[in-house]
Amino acid sequence: MEDFETLLKGSSNAHGHLCPGQVVGVRMAMEGCRLIGLDNPAKMPQIKKLIVYVEMDRCATDAICFVTGVRLGRRSLKFVDNGIMAATFVNLETGKAFRIVSTEKARDLAQIYAPKMSDKREQQLSAYKKMDIKDLFDIEEVKVDVPACDYPGPTRFKQTCSSCGQVVRDKKEVMKNDKILCRPCALGTYYQPVKKNTHNKGSHHVQHKKKSAV
Amino acid sequence: MCNTKKNLPFKTIPVAEAVGTTLAHDMTEIIPGESKGPAFKKGHKVTDSDVCRLMRMGKNNLFVLDLKDDQVHEDEAVNELAAALAGPGVIFSGSPSEGKLELRASYPGLFKVNIEALTKFNMIQDVMCAAIHNNTSVKTNNSLAATRAIPLVIHKDELQRAVDLAKEHYPIFCVKMFNPLKVRLAITGNEVYKGLIKDKFQDIVRKKISALGATLEEAVILPDDEEIISRQIQTYLEKDTDLIITTGGMSVDPDDVTRAGIENSGFEETIYSSAVLPGAMFLLGYHEKTSIMGLPACGLYHRITIFDLILPRLMAGEKPTQRDLAKLSHGGLCLNCKTCTFPACSFGKAG
Repeated sequence: MEDFETLLKGSSNAHGHLCPGQVVGVRMAMEGCRLIGLDNPAKMPQIKKLIVYVEMDRCATDAICFVTGVRLGRRSLKFVDNGIMAATFVNLETGKAFRIVSTEKARDLAQIYAPKMSDKREQQLSAYKKMDIKDLFDIEEVKVDVPACDYPGPTRFKQTCSSCGQVVRDKKEVMKNDKILCRPCALGTYYQPVKKNTHNKGSHHVQHKKKSAV
Repeated sequence: MCNTKKNLPFKTIPVAEAVGTTLAHDMTEIIPGESKGPAFKKGHKVTDSDVCRLMRMGKNNLFVLDLKDDQVHEDEAVNELAAALAGPGVIFSGSPSEGKLELRASYPGLFKVNIEALTKFNMIQDVMCAAIHNNTSVKTNNSLAATRAIPLVIHKDELQRAVDLAKEHYPIFCVKMFNPLKVRLAITGNEVYKGLIKDKFQDIVRKKISALGATLEEAVILPDDEEIISRQIQTYLEKDTDLIITTGGMSVDPDDVTRAGIENSGFEETIYSSAVLPGAMFLLGYHEKTSIMGLPACGLYHRITIFDLILPRLMAGEKPTQRDLAKLSHGGLCLNCKTCTFPACSFGKAG
């Protein structure tokens, strides 16, 4: 793994700007990888050994992705929408996992670590770079039982929605009223169709039905 | 296949020659004062970069799997078995533990088991799967079943037979999602209607239905009057009601007229009495999309009754028949334990 400053520079470029979240994210990722015994997670063969669960969709998440190489599309990045500045790093090979939470006290400690800075953002940015890891993070060793359907790799599970014909991957289908359904058909959509006959609760936007595959 | 000592699928090889082979057991690494844990798990394929680490761990020779072409390791086999058994709402870990995988619920609902198919599955040599009872109400992550291959390695054909059988009967296990039913309640009884005693049914019903995701839209207290009860049920039917619940008046006393009130209100299909104690004088009926449950007064005293057995099934969109109620007889006797452990007991586990 590259040094902190190099990673921070790369992360800020990838994210679009340098901010306290980038510093927190880079340090969190470096510490997480160290704890689970991965020193080069973004490269083969370690790239296949890591899953990171992030609990926020803010700046630090991009930094974690940059440092670790985890990607949503590779199924190595999992988003748990808790609104908490935290991430859990899992070594799939050994089962070792650590959850790291950014502490709230770090915000108050910023003025002690960088007393000469008047701008709050700049103060945090500077302080988080040198803050003791114990002040910056709460760290806990945890166990994460990653379900087979959440693993990276080729698609193993496919079903077809008996209502709309949509193929549903990775065991995200549900059984409702004796029918195998996709979640939009079973639970409703997060969007409202502009035209009729598109996906909506109870409506069938695709008429063709394929036989379910196991 | 038979795993006698003579026939173990292992061989011993020097660690330097182990690249590409598969470890036959977990390899523990101890870093003094720092950690102790599995550095490599059983089934791991040894790579170039592993050799140095293994040597540092003091391993000069390794037990590696020596699988023949027609043999499958138990960890690989159990993944195939679990994938074939687990229907919608059932997930399992990506890493078997001691050759076993636990199947868990991925959302709350009614756990369904194809018992006949599960029995056939377990008739196949060298595989097994044990499950909790059919028709159990489950929460997310509840344990539902566990499966494994019996020997350390299983013959490919035997594994395929088990997988094919599970696929043929798909899904052997599934969790039926609960519907968010709209419930309306009619509490009957002159004693509560006249205010001689305080109603306690509403709280009990609200608590039990909301635990499964239903909502109590409306509740009224009615006298023991067949016509009034009947009219109220008809009013409920005219509204957007998925489930009507009545309480009390289900026995055989002259004042017990709720049953007649229900039967005269438009429910063309009603079943009276169940083979369950507590809850024998129970009524279940259907009219178009609306179901009705007539709960006997035992629900005020007993923590768990027929109500707790039928409610999850209605919530899951099922319409239990007279035969279903009769089948509850086997396991239908509550033992009234001092400390109730339901659902972890025999009550309602007819299969």
